[in-house]
Amino acid sequence: MIIPIRCFSCGKPIAHLWEQYKEGVAKGGNRKELLDKLGLERYCCRAVFLGHIDLIETAAQFKKV
Amino acid sequence: MEIQLLSSDKKKNKMSFILKGADPAFANAIRRCAIEEVQTMAIDDVEFRKNSSAFYDEMIAHRLGLVTLTTDLKTYNLPENCKCNGEGCARCSLKMTLKSSGPWQVYASELKSKDPKVKPVFGDTPIVKLLKGQKLELEVTAVLGKGKSHMKWSPGLVYYKYMPEVKIGEVKNAEEIAKACPPGVFEVKEGKLFVNKDELLKHDLAGMAEKVSGGAVTIEENPEEFVFCVESWGQLDCKEIIEQAAQEFESQLEEFGKLIKEK
Ligand SMILES: [Zn+2]
Ligand SMILES: [Zn+2]
Repeated sequence: MIIPIRCFSCGKPIAHLWEQYKEGVAKGGNRKELLDKLGLERYCCRAVFLGHIDLIETAAQFKKV
Repeated sequence: MEIQLLSSDKKKNKMSFILKGADPAFANAIRRCAIEEVQTMAIDDVEFRKNSSAFYDEMIAHRLGLVTLTTDLKTYNLPENCKCNGEGCARCSLKMTLKSSGPWQVYASELKSKDPKVKPVFGDTPIVKLLKGQKLELEVTAVLGKGKSHMKWSPGLVYYKYMPEVKIGEVKNAEEIAKACPPGVFEVKEGKLFVNKDELLKHDLAGMAEKVSGGAVTIEENPEEFVFCVESWGQLDCKEIIEQAAQEFESQLEEFGKLIKEK
């Protein structure tokens, strides 16, 4: 839905890095290099980024129940 | 006891040091005190005035709770130790407000704080995205807390390992061993294997050497020497975390000593 504020496993704050990563990927950047540059060293944090899809804009068009 | 600083990276908020002449019980006490006793500031209460975003109030409150805040330990008290008995006053809590309307991406930096010393560490943390016509208005209360009641108050990651002692015997496949371990840990010079001690302490996965060498390389652990790694989440700096951990440990021991004397 939206990038988690912190990594699920280690608790590192990661949300502020998401937009840089997303931009880099959109420009055709290498994911490994982007994650390294952002300082996401542990595989827990990297997994959060690799597996994430932004869906809030789609979901926001529907009414909350 | 002896401490030797290995590295300190202010930009990455990381620090590591060697602790010599201690035992595992002591090292672990420091680690646990750092993770669950050191106090930091975090949002603990959110009052919603308006929320027509895609997210339920609880989800936004949860996200806000996890936002790290720069912590000023001198001015604030734990609510339970405060003169107000936990009711909330200027000495134990800080109110911040956020008002936003769509279309807009709401960031943590939009939290308006009256105390310039306490604000989100990472202002560009996205909180929620508002579409056209959606509104968000809320007031939050930040308080000091400890990691043992909720991890959002934990100041960072603290871990240690025993000092590895690598012994190299009759090695036949030096190249292969060096390749099996993280780059730089082992060096090969004229067919002989050497350890790069500085690199060795940075990595955790050099154990493959034992397997690949068929027992010629052994890695033993020294239970009296510890390699500590501290990674701060930004509320306090790394040195402060360890200082505070030691202080918390000391005050617990002091309290214990006092109780023993009274009995
Ligand atoms: Zn992580
Ligand atoms: Zn108070």
